[in-house]
Amino acid sequence: MIGILSYIIFFTTVASILAIAVLGLNLQWGNTGLFNGGVVAFFGAGAYGTLLLGGTPQPDHIAGFELFYPIALIGGMTAAGLLAWVVGILTLKMRHDYLAISTFGVAVAFENLMRNAEWLGGGAKGLRGFERPFRESLGDGFVYNFVFLIAVVFCLIVTYRFQEILVSSPFGRLLRAIREDENAARSLGKDPARIRLTAFVTGSVIMGLAGGLYGTFYAFVSPQDVLPTLTFQIWAMLIVGGAGNNKGAVLGAFIIWAAWTFSGWALSRFAPIEAQLYTGSIQYVLIGLVIVIMLLWRPQGLLPERLVVSQSGLG
Amino acid sequence: MKKDNERFVFKLGAVVCLALFASNSISHACTTKIGAVLPTSVDWGRPIAETAQFVVDQVNESGGVSGCSIEMVLRDTQVDPKVGVDAAKALVDLDGVQLLLGAVSSGVSMPILTSVSVPSNVMQMSCCSSSTAFSKLAENGKTEGLWFRTFATTGVQAAVGAKVAKDRGFKKVAILYKNDDWGQDLNRLIARDFAALGIKVTSAVAINDGQPSYKAEVTSALSGSPDVLYLGLYPNEGTAAVREWLSLGGTQNMIMANSLKSEDFRENVGLQYLGNAFGTDTASPRVASADAFVQLYKSHFGKEPSGPGLANSYDAAMIALLAMEAAGKGATGDQIASQVGRVTDPAGTPITADAAGFKAARTILAGGGNVMYQGATGNVRFDKNGDVSAPAVVWKFTDGGTTEIEYLSLTEVDEFIASMN
Repeated sequence: MIGILSYIIFFTTVASILAIAVLGLNLQWGNTGLFNGGVVAFFGAGAYGTLLLGGTPQPDHIAGFELFYPIALIGGMTAAGLLAWVVGILTLKMRHDYLAISTFGVAVAFENLMRNAEWLGGGAKGLRGFERPFRESLGDGFVYNFVFLIAVVFCLIVTYRFQEILVSSPFGRLLRAIREDENAARSLGKDPARIRLTAFVTGSVIMGLAGGLYGTFYAFVSPQDVLPTLTFQIWAMLIVGGAGNNKGAVLGAFIIWAAWTFSGWALSRFAPIEAQLYTGSIQYVLIGLVIVIMLLWRPQGLLPERLVVSQSGLG
Repeated sequence: MKKDNERFVFKLGAVVCLALFASNSISHACTTKIGAVLPTSVDWGRPIAETAQFVVDQVNESGGVSGCSIEMVLRDTQVDPKVGVDAAKALVDLDGVQLLLGAVSSGVSMPILTSVSVPSNVMQMSCCSSSTAFSKLAENGKTEGLWFRTFATTGVQAAVGAKVAKDRGFKKVAILYKNDDWGQDLNRLIARDFAALGIKVTSAVAINDGQPSYKAEVTSALSGSPDVLYLGLYPNEGTAAVREWLSLGGTQNMIMANSLKSEDFRENVGLQYLGNAFGTDTASPRVASADAFVQLYKSHFGKEPSGPGLANSYDAAMIALLAMEAAGKGATGDQIASQVGRVTDPAGTPITADAAGFKAARTILAGGGNVMYQGATGNVRFDKNGDVSAPAVVWKFTDGGTTEIEYLSLTEVDEFIASMN
């Protein structure tokens, strides 16, 4: 019983962390129409940034500044934001598929930088030497995971509320205006380039927060954590949940991550013994199938965007 | 109607209970689950899992562990750390396993170790993770003695590679290494060993996977006009890089890591160019059990155990289950881990790596004795960090495959490594 609870806590923690990243993407794609194909770079910048700043000194690479944890986490988010700012200035002139390709390139470059720059992030071996905050007082087991879950869910709620407020504010309306018709927005005296950059950086900082929490949870990050698969997973979550809808983004994260993990569990338990060795491949097929069916059956996602008239005619 | 239903349910329940009871009493009285987290969705990962399952089948055939049959619950890692950690966590929390076999990639094994095995006090034994990061983690006391691997650390391979260069009188060496954790470790270690032996490293170049051409890398490796090339690569990039190396006039003197012990590499490069290419490998010691593994494997799977990590996977599963037997029924992860020394004791009674050996070990362990496991990779012995050392061979390619030209026993390897430090 305690085992099931412990696993549920673990699952919810990972799903919530991913949900935060999906919310970040929702701000960029769902609300502003920015096709970020390099989610993992900003996620990774947050993770590496947090662990580098909060970790203990290591002989073979820099890092180990042992900063107070919240400062390290904010540092990780800042790293993601700075990366987004530089990338944004360079690439946001591009539209849609071009932006997607260039951000994808940034993500691959980030992974390769981390794989090769041993002095920076430990290279392919990954970044060790991070002590999870409050580990001394909470131990390493069940209690710690429970407290960590509460912290992560708190971050998720704050992010969600922040984006709900943002989306319903005049700024959110401006984002959607740029998404729908940039020229129209410009004709009204708005500066789409600046707004797009703001949305891109904000979304990336949120992804950085997710990355920072992820790195903290595992107390380890390696280039294998920042492979393009993660970008694909985050996108699948947003598409299935419903782009443009914050509730949908969170729901999509939980559903896809549950499908991803539960299918593995169910196959290991119920698949016939001779098929056991192929469950890995079967799982890939199933996940692909779910996404394809979803796109055919409900391309707008489970919870589609609700377009609201923010000012009624009477107002 | 309702009553009928109840009666029916009751009868059904009774039948199911009887059936369960009957089926159990035929085989064993109980089942103990162990977990395996391996990349079964990757082509070379599947045979590793098959080999582990083969061990479990043999142990069950010999009577199981502590009177219980073993069920290996196998989960795929997809070589994705998130997925692997989740699978391990589910195995520990939902299936209650006290023993995890896996993973293969160090980048997956490491987060499983730090965020699942150690916090949950579960023993973890990997067949194939090679990163030196595990040794460092163990030295810092962070693995709590729960971590073991049957894959000899890269140090052995590097030392023997350097020894080959010294014995053949090479003075200047260029290194090409695979750009992953294994390759980076290997490069660092062998560069240190070359330096200790007074051999100059003219350049060390990282090779990334899947590039159409390695001309730039090879050109930069050629620049110091080395008289020998060291290759820490896998067959695909190895073939491409060596072809370019030869076509640009590089020397045919080569030293190769065991990863290039592949027929594809030999055929695609061409045997005529490999006359002066020496390979290194960790080796099975000259005991019957290593050959016995090959025979056993062939008779079961109908082919040679030629993929990576198969012998290591076999020993990992067997040693872990022996330790479980030694620890007794209902043992926790740390109790199992504490028994590993008892089943790999150099002073213990030698046992073979099969069902009969397991049976023999059971009797000896029950009597309080220790056993020396003689497995597919030899008389496995773990150091305090859970690492293994191993004997080594130097080999060359031939028409029919490879042939061994030199054998270094465990003692010789250890002495040579000590002589460099």
